[in-house]
Amino acid sequence: MAVGEGKFVLYSRISPPLHAGDYQLTARQDLGASTSTGALGPDELPVQQLETHFRVRSPRFALPPDQALSTFPPANAEGSFGSRLPQIVIKRRTLPWERDVGPGGVETTPWLALVVIAEGEAELKLNQPIAQCATPGVHFDGVAEAELGSYLQVRKSIVDKVFPTRLDVPLLAHAREVDIHDTELMMGDDDGFLAVVIANRLPLPGRDADGNEVPVKYLACLINLEQQFQVLRERAPDPSPFTVHPQVVLNSNLFTLPDWDRISMGMPAFPGMDLVAGGAGLGVHAAAARPAAARPAASVTAAAPGPTAMASAPAAASRTAAAAPYEAGGAWASKAAAGRSTGDVYADMARPFERAYAGILGGGDPTYRFPVLLHWSFTSAGQTTFRNLMEGADLGLLGTTSTEPPPAGRPAPEVVETGHVGLGHKTRRGDDVRIWYRGPFVPHPTVDPPGGRLPLAHASDQLRIVVPDGREDLSLAAAFEVGRLLALSRPSLIASLLRWRQLHYQAARREAIWRLQADFLEAMAIDLERIGRDVGGLLGRGLAKVIAAQPMDFLGNPRPLATPGRALAISGDPLRALTTGLGIAASALVGQPGEVLSRLASTAVPKAPAPNVTALGGMSSATGVLATSRAVLKGMQDLQINRLALDAIPGLGTVAVGAVGSARKPAARKPDALDKLIDSLGKQEEQE
Amino acid sequence: MKIDSTELMSKLPLQLAAAVPDVVVVDEDEDGVLPAELRNAMVRLRLLEGVPFAYLVADSALLPPESIRFFYVDRRWTDALVQGALSVGTVCTADRTQLTAQYPAVRNELDQEERNRRRREGMARWQGGAGPVSGFLLRSQAVSGWPAMHVRAFSVDPAEADDARYPEDDPRRMRLLRLERLAPAVLLCLFDGIPKVVHIEEPRQGIQFGFEATGEGDTMRATLPPRDASTSEYIEGADPIEVPFRAGATGVVDIQELERRLAAVPGTGAGDGLSSAEYALQLVRFPWRQVFGDPEDPKPPVGRVLRPTVSYASLVSAQFPGPRR
Repeated sequence: MAVGEGKFVLYSRISPPLHAGDYQLTARQDLGASTSTGALGPDELPVQQLETHFRVRSPRFALPPDQALSTFPPANAEGSFGSRLPQIVIKRRTLPWERDVGPGGVETTPWLALVVIAEGEAELKLNQPIAQCATPGVHFDGVAEAELGSYLQVRKSIVDKVFPTRLDVPLLAHAREVDIHDTELMMGDDDGFLAVVIANRLPLPGRDADGNEVPVKYLACLINLEQQFQVLRERAPDPSPFTVHPQVVLNSNLFTLPDWDRISMGMPAFPGMDLVAGGAGLGVHAAAARPAAARPAASVTAAAPGPTAMASAPAAASRTAAAAPYEAGGAWASKAAAGRSTGDVYADMARPFERAYAGILGGGDPTYRFPVLLHWSFTSAGQTTFRNLMEGADLGLLGTTSTEPPPAGRPAPEVVETGHVGLGHKTRRGDDVRIWYRGPFVPHPTVDPPGGRLPLAHASDQLRIVVPDGREDLSLAAAFEVGRLLALSRPSLIASLLRWRQLHYQAARREAIWRLQADFLEAMAIDLERIGRDVGGLLGRGLAKVIAAQPMDFLGNPRPLATPGRALAISGDPLRALTTGLGIAASALVGQPGEVLSRLASTAVPKAPAPNVTALGGMSSATGVLATSRAVLKGMQDLQINRLALDAIPGLGTVAVGAVGSARKPAARKPDALDKLIDSLGKQEEQE
Repeated sequence: MKIDSTELMSKLPLQLAAAVPDVVVVDEDEDGVLPAELRNAMVRLRLLEGVPFAYLVADSALLPPESIRFFYVDRRWTDALVQGALSVGTVCTADRTQLTAQYPAVRNELDQEERNRRRREGMARWQGGAGPVSGFLLRSQAVSGWPAMHVRAFSVDPAEADDARYPEDDPRRMRLLRLERLAPAVLLCLFDGIPKVVHIEEPRQGIQFGFEATGEGDTMRATLPPRDASTSEYIEGADPIEVPFRAGATGVVDIQELERRLAAVPGTGAGDGLSSAEYALQLVRFPWRQVFGDPEDPKPPVGRVLRPTVSYASLVSAQFPGPRR
């Protein structure tokens, strides 16, 4: 069932499937099978019986530290807990029901109880052998999970007075399911199920002889009731409508609450003053400070102060949760209680409870020992409640100074309305001056300077300000320097900053350089965002792409696929040119087609004289190949010339004989290479 | 491509300034303008983690014992802190040019990310620019004696009663940027904004069990208003039950007699025998909640909340005496 946020569900009991102890597990298996001859029974298919031993473990003499989720009142706390029942929250939901409490109890009876002991009522012994941790004669079955344990040694009279009765014990343990998201209740638990053990006693603050409230130190012990359940009272005596505060013999007029505060911070309340002043036996730290008369040893039963002595619990507070800043000086104190182990704290808490006062009339008052799984102590003081503290707190904006006069030897701080504090400062040259300083916490909302926030400074000296009164304001410079030193104090941060510089500064610089060439890159169709190591390849490909798209700009016009032929320049009447070309009379082509045809049929075809090849071949070869080729060319030229001579027959008109169907008009043409060759040959001819 | 190196170098800073990418971070572990681990370190610095306390409060007289001091956070101070840390990463002038160019984006990213420092798992990320940050310092025994107290801040005065319950994502609730015990008795709290009302509540961890106590001299009486076992509400009209104590002992409750008295009140569940859950339910006591913020007088005169030793006016007049008359 899901529990809503901020809600919780209470269970009377969550029983474990098995109590702690040693168990024997016997596993039997019966096999059956059917064959062609019939079924086989279990006897014919025997399986060996498996016998296993296992142990269900549960804390017995010590509660593992991670199992105690929280305690109330907090360990070592001082406050007005007089109307609240102490309690402990345990992570394992089944823990109070994991063991059998023994004779007198039923299966549902928890084996744990939380008892609250005032100073002097019982003795708490730490780190004793397990065998001594229970009343002599009481034997625990099973194994002990630890070598050493703690026990509470208490007289029967005290058991009758302050321990819960047998009927009370089941009512004092319950299980609780909390919302797993409510982190304040969670504190690291995994499933939200918790077990809670409540005490049956209100830790009342004491009263001195004058009826004033004085703090009383209490010890809360989570005890193991196994095998000793019947030591508890069966039922309570007749109830009383009221209870009395413990009477404290200490004359506490010497100490006011603030003094208690200082004492409990582990510092002397008054310089030079012995904390046992007044001889009242206020043992703050060590047992050595206890006058023997006021504190009879536990074994001295005859010297008991009397029947009322059990309520005489001189208050002591050796709280270790030191609030370090509680100090009269102006500077903040450094942590005083550093380097203490958990064991030290437990020992400290147990120290005031090492001795017990004698019980009533000694004699027939037997002593019992109960194993203690966890103990913590706290001080129940007068009016100090959370409510009182919060309602009485001095409220103001930071910059408000205390209404109390400053401690002797120290001038009142110089605080200006703006929140600046005047502080002594030694300049780099060694001058002692006063400066203004204001931390990050200011009494007025700050206004950003015009143009936005603080511009970037690269050195703290850039942030030093001289204010009109002549002093320097070092607030921001100090902040810069604190930040710089904090960064320098962490090598990982330095490495990270330098890596950032390497990877990001330089990458950004490279990008900016490319961005300057944005136009070119755009022309090359390169995405500016995608510039990387392959930019060279991209540039090459881009160039090829651009050249392919606009070859005119890069390579010039391409050659046409077909080259047009040269136009022949023919002048004169085409008919005459034709007849001249065919070497026939012009009149042969004139007249009716039939006549022309018959006339042509009877006309002899004129033949050009063949060149004299033998004459060419018989030429002297003294001039070599060149001469030969020239002679060939010359022969061809003669033919040409003959032809030209024919062309030049007077009376023949010029006829344009271009390629049929060509749209090209004969145009004035520049002389080309062939023309030049012909010209040069012509000139050569003339020279020869 | 013709590159004039002189022109390039002269234009480069401007180009760098324009080249800053506007990255919106969507995850703690994702790099933005700053690499993630660097950004997280800077955000912690922004929230003044690790800053020596003497730099936060320069004089112990400003935070006397048993006092609570509200304040605004000077963004220029926290900016200077971050600038100091960033300066460690600059070596040469080019780096400083680069840092100058990147700094506005770095600052904007930190402005956004400092809000996400205390974000609850699964909630949407907060975005937006820098707003005012305020907070308080509490130096009190309440801090050392009642660890893990609850602090809630509201941007408006909630119309509900002071003891109403507020869900975590109530839109009127302001985010806590930081809530930390700097010393056993000093609590620092930073709000994302300027709250109208602040609740400080006794820690709820381990619900407390107890009674309403009344003292008369040396004796002490206690009463218990009975609760309905099924609804956990107080039974209306039922008289508080006198808590019986064991005679002859101090403070020991007679639970059996208490059970009999509870059984006489119908609805408590004790009629058919009290179970431990029913007993715990009857004893649950709710924590105290202190409310700061005065809806009657939203703007008290500064003199009531700020008492400096030197008034600014006297400081100015001492430095600038003005013409003599």
